[in-house]
Amino acid sequence: MNRVELTRVPLIKTALRSRWPQLILRVIALAGFLLAILAGISGTPVGSRNFGIVFVWIGWWALLMLVAVPLFGRGWCSVCPIPMPGEWLQQGALLKPQGRGLGLGKRWPNKLRNIWLQNGAFVLVALFSTVILTSPLTSALVLTAFLVIAIAASLVFERRAFCRYLCPVGGFIGLYSQVAPVELRVIDTSVCASHTEKTCYAGSAEGYGCPWQVFPPGLVKNTYCGTCMECLRTCPHDNLAINLRPFGTDLNNPTGRKMDEAFKAFIMLGSAVVYSAVMLGPWGFLKSAAYHIGSVQWLVYAAGFLTFLFLLLPGLFYAAVALGQTLGGKKAKPTGKAASRSRLFGTHRQAFTGFAYSLVPLGLAAWIAFSVSFVFANISYLWPVLSDPMGWGWNLLGTASLSWTPYLTQAVPTLQALILLGGLLWASRTSLRIADQQPAQPTAITRPLLQALPIIAFCAAVTFGLLGLLIA
Amino acid sequence: MKMLPSSLMNKHWKWGIFILLALTILLLPLPAQSAQASEKYIQIQASSYEYNPGVVRVKPGERVTLELTSTDVTHGIYIDGYNLEVIAEPGQTQTLSFVADQTGTFRLRCSVTCGALHPFMTGKLQVGTNALLWKSIAIAALGIAVVIWTVRT
Amino acid sequence: MHEVLPLNAEHSTRWILIGLALGLLLAIFLVRSFGSGQAIEVHAKMPEQGGWTPSDLAATAGQPLHLRLTSDDVLHGFAIGQSDQPPVDVEPGKMTELTLNFDQPGKYTYYCTRWCGPNHWRMRGTIEVQPDLNKPGAAASQSSQPEAEPLFIQMGVDIDGQPHTDRIPPDRPNARRGQALDTSLPEKYLAEEYYRTHSPVEVWESLRNEAFTQSYSDQQVWDLVAWIWRQGTSPAKLADGQMLFAQNCAACHGEMGAGDGVMAEAVAAEYASSGHGPAGPIDFTDPHRNLATSPVIQQGKIIRGGMGTGMPYWGPIFTEEQIWALVDYLWTFQFEY
Repeated sequence: MNRVELTRVPLIKTALRSRWPQLILRVIALAGFLLAILAGISGTPVGSRNFGIVFVWIGWWALLMLVAVPLFGRGWCSVCPIPMPGEWLQQGALLKPQGRGLGLGKRWPNKLRNIWLQNGAFVLVALFSTVILTSPLTSALVLTAFLVIAIAASLVFERRAFCRYLCPVGGFIGLYSQVAPVELRVIDTSVCASHTEKTCYAGSAEGYGCPWQVFPPGLVKNTYCGTCMECLRTCPHDNLAINLRPFGTDLNNPTGRKMDEAFKAFIMLGSAVVYSAVMLGPWGFLKSAAYHIGSVQWLVYAAGFLTFLFLLLPGLFYAAVALGQTLGGKKAKPTGKAASRSRLFGTHRQAFTGFAYSLVPLGLAAWIAFSVSFVFANISYLWPVLSDPMGWGWNLLGTASLSWTPYLTQAVPTLQALILLGGLLWASRTSLRIADQQPAQPTAITRPLLQALPIIAFCAAVTFGLLGLLIA
Repeated sequence: MKMLPSSLMNKHWKWGIFILLALTILLLPLPAQSAQASEKYIQIQASSYEYNPGVVRVKPGERVTLELTSTDVTHGIYIDGYNLEVIAEPGQTQTLSFVADQTGTFRLRCSVTCGALHPFMTGKLQVGTNALLWKSIAIAALGIAVVIWTVRT
Repeated sequence: MHEVLPLNAEHSTRWILIGLALGLLLAIFLVRSFGSGQAIEVHAKMPEQGGWTPSDLAATAGQPLHLRLTSDDVLHGFAIGQSDQPPVDVEPGKMTELTLNFDQPGKYTYYCTRWCGPNHWRMRGTIEVQPDLNKPGAAASQSSQPEAEPLFIQMGVDIDGQPHTDRIPPDRPNARRGQALDTSLPEKYLAEEYYRTHSPVEVWESLRNEAFTQSYSDQQVWDLVAWIWRQGTSPAKLADGQMLFAQNCAACHGEMGAGDGVMAEAVAAEYASSGHGPAGPIDFTDPHRNLATSPVIQQGKIIRGGMGTGMPYWGPIFTEEQIWALVDYLWTFQFEY
């Protein structure tokens, strides 16, 4: 067996099933979130001295990208405070189900049961990111908007529609949670088969039916499981477990690969490249174009950004897939013009979505490498902000006058190179495994390799580009 | 899914060889780049939010003097790795001298808050060849070969 | 494993959440309203974004004025014109506490001491200091002795002309060479009023006609002019002037005085269309203009400013000694001392 059932440890199980540890973490997170909004609105407009900027975009971001996502997948979603107020209204309770809540409880529209809205939301935030990341007021307004939209979604729709279909952060956490070495899964599906109440989805007196609209017995990937632990609380047969597993397990599972997730992978990888160039590169004109929203330069930048994310990267990747399919000798091709025209990505649509999952480890590595650079350089901004969150001259902990000092400046480039190399090798391995899963190959040994080679070349090209931007 | 770790087990030795080779490449000293005793004088203009030139190239061992001129507000330069700093106000050019005794690429970062994008005001100091970059590319090629070797056999 | 929550757990949790949100709001509101105590919070922004807020402060003579200074964008500095108060830096997002004491009523100018763009010098504000009416004789002290008018006004010189000469020394005039000639210069040339009110060319022409210079070359007479200028100042004054020039003038006039400072282009562009004389900062190394300019004209320009050329007025900022020290330093761009 390659899983270790963490919930066998009584302490872990009790801690996860109890509402209290989670609640305490969420209340702390909520306090931080509210303080970030208030600091953004009433504190100093200087980002590097404002809690709202430093704690969210350096502190929280470092925690999310360097720890939470790679190690715990959707661990952050499990303690995220944003859905709390809306869910309180929707459920009428903060703890166990009791009484009735408010809200229309509508079903989320079928056409939007994908992550395209999350893709769009992320790109929208990304286009304005240089301002959002640096202006406390703008940042506060964006955080407030998250909160308001989450509350509205809770009141109109059932369950956590915001988290599942709208949250721009949740989208990429979900994609990258496939890599994480932990998972929530049913222990024995045959137990579920005979359990007619399906309390994990319907809810019970002990907890709510899956807020993420996931049917736990059907879980094969982490992507949409918010690790909120409700099913651990509602299952009367104690049939749910948190498992420790090898990194990247979900990537090898061919089920459920979809175009919206594939594009999430392109959007994330592309954004990491663009951010590395704009924020960490030596080109002032790029920074200025990205910052002056509404100017001609910004429009050009935005157009370039979108082209890179939605046309150039997927286009090149498609070319790589097509080359691989040609070399690898895919047999059956649909005949007739109508057949090919009806398919957005021509004849290789399935291979395209399939191979796009090799970009998950590559993109995660790119984001970690990018984050390492500015997190270590700027995390010393945290210390003064702890003592003076608003920039009002407080000195709560005596750290207000600690000056900005980049940390580990000698080790960071090597660290980044190793992370990017790890991502590339992992992506290569994933692409080879995906090639194995592609149907209709006449011979087993060489053909999948030929299919994967152009993908590997694509990943290597992106990695070398990132190496050039980050360490050269 | 069960295949994965067991196959990994069988292929541990291949990865072992790879890690050994990769470490060797990483720690391998490059042929010593002849240290220059020469002097290098470089003028850098800082404006929000860039350095001009944005990339500074010097030879290993050179005695480098950076002359920092700010053209709008007060800016600074902090050199990663060397951990040196110089600050200049418009009208008061300042210089920073040091011996370029570490090779590689080091980021220059503005060290005086100079506006919204201040944390992103960066430049580069390149001393000699960027060994890390070339080593990374070599390790990448080697690594891909090992990946194919382990997955395909 | 069934957990039994206390009955009131739900309600306690709700109250904790509500308390947390309201408590944070209330705390912020209270601190915002009363946190500064008696101090006045002064925000600094780049002049294009509004400069000082507030820009008019009021104080009472003999009573301390507490300020909390912070910058909302880049590094600024705070100082009071014609005062011994050392300047303080006003750093982005940090609070600098400062207590000022004014002995005399009057109108004081405070200004930014760190270059923050081409309009940096416009970043000024005023402090209106009222006499302390509870103090006997306070009203009387307000009408203290009127300040002497600066020399350029007493003299009634036209400081807006375009001085020019083609009588240029072959070599840069050198005060040491002039000194080495060991000539006993007539008293009149060494009088402060004389050299300050004449341009070097005028002095040179006057010297050239003197009997004692008949054996000298033109260059040697120029060296004597430099020697006269040198005797009007001192190394200490020159050092003061150099510091003032670096901090306040070099960004436009250039660190070597050549009119090519980092802000020069922006200033030239801004005032090109205003029709006020030559666009851009004066080049102090240009002998044609400067050798035809007298120190008193320079004093006037510094005090009054260019009136539409982009040259700031420094009257409320510098003391008379500081201005003369600055003028003395400007001549080092023409003369070798």
